Amino acid sequence: MTSLFRKFSWWRQRRRREDELREELQFHLEEEAGEGEAAGLSSDDAGWAARRDLGNVTLLREDTRMLWSWLLLEQLGQDIRYGVRAMSRNRLFTVLAVLSLALGIGANTAIYSFMDSILLRSLPVSDPASLVAVRWQSKPFGSGTTNAFVMRSMDGNTYREGSSVVSGIFPFPAFERLKGASSPVLSVLFAHKPAGRVNVMIKGEAELAEGEYVSGDFFRGLALTPAVGRLFAADDDRAGAVPVAVLSLGYCERRFGDAVNATGQQILINSVPFTVVGVTPPEFFGVDPAAAPQVYLPMHASLLFDPEAGRAFLDPNYYWVEMMGRLPTGVGLAQAQAALAGPFARWVATTAADDRELANLPVIRLEEGAGGLDSLRRQYSKPLYVLLAMVGLLLAIACANTANLLLARAAARQREMAVRLSLGAGRWRVVRQLLTESVLLAFLSGALGILIAVAGIQVLTLLLANGREGFTLHAELNWHVLGVTLVLSLICGVVFGLAPALQSTRPSLMPMLRDRSVAEPRSRLRDWAPRLSLPQVLVVAQIGISLLLLVGAGLFVRTLANLQSIPLGFNRDHVLLFELNAPQAGYPESKTAAFYADLRRRFSEVPGVREATLSHASLIRAGRSHPITVDGRPTRATRLLYTGPRFFTTTEIPILQGREIADSDRQGMPQVAVVSDLFARSNFGDGNAVGRHIAVAGGMTVGGPSLVFEIVGVAADAKYGGLKRETPPVVYLSYAQVPPPRLREMTYALRTVGDPLHYVGTVRQIVHEADARVPVTSVRTQAADIDQTINQEIVFARLCSAFAILALVIACVGLYATMAYAVARRTNEIGLRIALGAGRGIVIWMVLREVCVLAVAGLAIGVPAALGVSRLVESFLFAMKPNDPRAIAAAAAILLTAAIVAGYGPARRASRVDPMVALRHE
Amino acid sequence: MAEKPPFRVDLLRGTLDLLILRTLLPGPSHGHAIAKHIQRTSEDLLQVETGSLYPALYRLEAKGWIAASWELSDKGKRARYYRITAKGQQQLVNEQWKWDAFARAMGLLLKPADQERT
Repeated sequence: MTSLFRKFSWWRQRRRREDELREELQFHLEEEAGEGEAAGLSSDDAGWAARRDLGNVTLLREDTRMLWSWLLLEQLGQDIRYGVRAMSRNRLFTVLAVLSLALGIGANTAIYSFMDSILLRSLPVSDPASLVAVRWQSKPFGSGTTNAFVMRSMDGNTYREGSSVVSGIFPFPAFERLKGASSPVLSVLFAHKPAGRVNVMIKGEAELAEGEYVSGDFFRGLALTPAVGRLFAADDDRAGAVPVAVLSLGYCERRFGDAVNATGQQILINSVPFTVVGVTPPEFFGVDPAAAPQVYLPMHASLLFDPEAGRAFLDPNYYWVEMMGRLPTGVGLAQAQAALAGPFARWVATTAADDRELANLPVIRLEEGAGGLDSLRRQYSKPLYVLLAMVGLLLAIACANTANLLLARAAARQREMAVRLSLGAGRWRVVRQLLTESVLLAFLSGALGILIAVAGIQVLTLLLANGREGFTLHAELNWHVLGVTLVLSLICGVVFGLAPALQSTRPSLMPMLRDRSVAEPRSRLRDWAPRLSLPQVLVVAQIGISLLLLVGAGLFVRTLANLQSIPLGFNRDHVLLFELNAPQAGYPESKTAAFYADLRRRFSEVPGVREATLSHASLIRAGRSHPITVDGRPTRATRLLYTGPRFFTTTEIPILQGREIADSDRQGMPQVAVVSDLFARSNFGDGNAVGRHIAVAGGMTVGGPSLVFEIVGVAADAKYGGLKRETPPVVYLSYAQVPPPRLREMTYALRTVGDPLHYVGTVRQIVHEADARVPVTSVRTQAADIDQTINQEIVFARLCSAFAILALVIACVGLYATMAYAVARRTNEIGLRIALGAGRGIVIWMVLREVCVLAVAGLAIGVPAALGVSRLVESFLFAMKPNDPRAIAAAAAILLTAAIVAGYGPARRASRVDPMVALRHE
Repeated sequence: MAEKPPFRVDLLRGTLDLLILRTLLPGPSHGHAIAKHIQRTSEDLLQVETGSLYPALYRLEAKGWIAASWELSDKGKRARYYRITAKGQQQLVNEQWKWDAFARAMGLLLKPADQERT
């Protein structure tokens, strides 16, 4: 403490101290000289003797100063000032090193931030670690002999995990049964179920919002505190309870302007009045990171929308609700699972109809629920790991590059170091100076890296969302990652700043003070099996890694090209798509078809709209199938599409036989169908399908009467339900002849003149005039609609190409720097060669040969690595093998070309060496 | 300059502080005089490096064992005079005691025969 105070007070008066010390030493010199003169020396000699005796005055002064002040701090300040000066002198060097490191740091931080928010983050509720997710697993079913399974119908997802099937959906009776059995091992068990998009009408404005059905215990189980009002209690979730809703804070603020205003308000949800009772806290996004519900409804509120929904609560073979629970302190996951397994097994056995179903019953299992549901994890974890590997490689290249630049610079500064040492600088002092510069470099890169990371996160969000509405994935900058990457770059800077620093401060000064080219041993360039120097090793590594990224980019770009060149069977350009859902907005079922038909006519009259049609979904997203028979024989894998008039004209799918569906194909008229060529050929051997009949069993509902349709036309095959899927046989029906209860949302398609998005305003206006309750949703072009289905491939191709180009540039910079340094070092030798008659071409070739050796060495490492690693991304490829020789060859060719281009500059400079200048240099 | 002795003894670490304190015991003195006094009294066997003398003086001053002030030297020039403080005298006693013990131990170990003879 006192010493700190002393240092501080001395630091304040250090100027005076400095003067005093100088005066004292001056006095010492004079005394010494006086003595010398007294002993008979000349006054000059005496002065010199005294000075010799005193030794290194500066060092002495520094040693003394060290005692009184924060010398380290002061010197740090000096070092930083000097470092900044040195950097601004070497602008190109600094910019290259900082940029490449910053890109490495930024890209890693951005990607890892995404991983963190998707894969690693816990739900923002209190004590997330005690949450459990309830799932079941069973042997695979639904194929061949093991067809029978107690889950006869479902709404949700099942996943394959190894040799078993896993799912988180249960029948509602199972939830009630488990709730009864769970009290000793779970403090609470609650259920939820995505409600999809619901039509929310607030103050006369209709909008679709993400809805979530939750059980009465849901909010209590998650231990949430409402931002305003109250959350649901057990009583709210009962048939016949007063309809209440809870809104998310963000949605509330958007629709009401303020959360406080919202509570107590009446809103219409799917045209049923609800009272808003409360608002969820700001950070809460639901239990599934993939979907951020905006409106929470009690489970039993579904009865208000659909009287038939009551069956879902009773049917023991209909799987739909998802469950989570909370472990009380002292109860483990395994213990809870063991306690629930028995009751569930006994209950599920009673739901089996026969011995075959009994043979494969689902078994309950509990999983950690801290991260919420894992739908996002399943979707994104592998792509993100691949991306993370890519940016990791990028960072490695950037670090190697920085190391290389630092090495080259340190070599170039050896003379400077020697001068400083010979003028009396302490060795440690010089090393510290160099270290400061490295650290400064790392921090500059880190600062820039933060900016790049922030921008990168935004770009990545845009890329992943790709125009999708309600994209809920929002990553935040992850400071831990930033720290880790920063430390990595720091280590890189320190290690590679320090090694040459120590080397160049080795105290053999004399050779260094002379011209360095003499002191250097002759280059080993002409040896064909050269011992590579450190910079050369780094360049080889950079080239090898770049090759990996280039091969990856090649694979993903070709995958994308393969996908985009798939023949669609319809024309994707200049088509606007949007969705309407009249029944959900409260439109009477009996009038829905007429409403849709009227709108289609109005759209087709808009100037610039060449054709207008509608279908129950866009071709690329459709996925409807019902059992269809031809002459009593079932057809295989047939898909259905409800279409409107002029569907085939608008989409430009050619009609091969007969006619397309027309306005006159309405309810009450003869029921007609158009079938695809594939359907006609596979079900009518003679190929002539027009006039034949098909039957849709069940009439598009469960257990209804069979409906018969006459085939009036055959259309060419077109993609249905996804690009990568094989085109199925398709039956096109007239939407106006579909039983009204089955008619729900429709997707309109307008073929326009010019940019389809120009017509969005007009479309909204027309719909608003027709019925303000019906919102226009999912507006996009047909091209975007298709692109969204191959979004992952697009993102991969773009990102990987960007990373590969970056890697290539950085590697070339490294190569350029290494070669430029090598040439500068050998100026003498080259001058001598030219003086002795070596032609310019020979000199250029001499340098380029070394470039080629390095590049080929890099390729020799990179190609086998690429062969091995590309297997890991096999599942991301389409219509190509991971070891695609063309991708590897292209990558190698690009790399070699780039290397030669990068090496040509230094080579040319070498050939321009003036022999006279070079020789006089010595 | 006086004739040089055939060899010089390097100062042991830490002994410079002791020598400075001892030199200052009779009265204040400036840096150069301290160096000369040590050199002369040790019959030129000990040569104080200027490079270590001044840092040592400042170190002792920082520890509060000696105090410094600017005064006129006998030749009429301004010089920085150091004098020993009460704390320094206490330190000198301690150091001297330690040194005596050390020297005696070294003597016992290195010249056992001499002792037998006496």
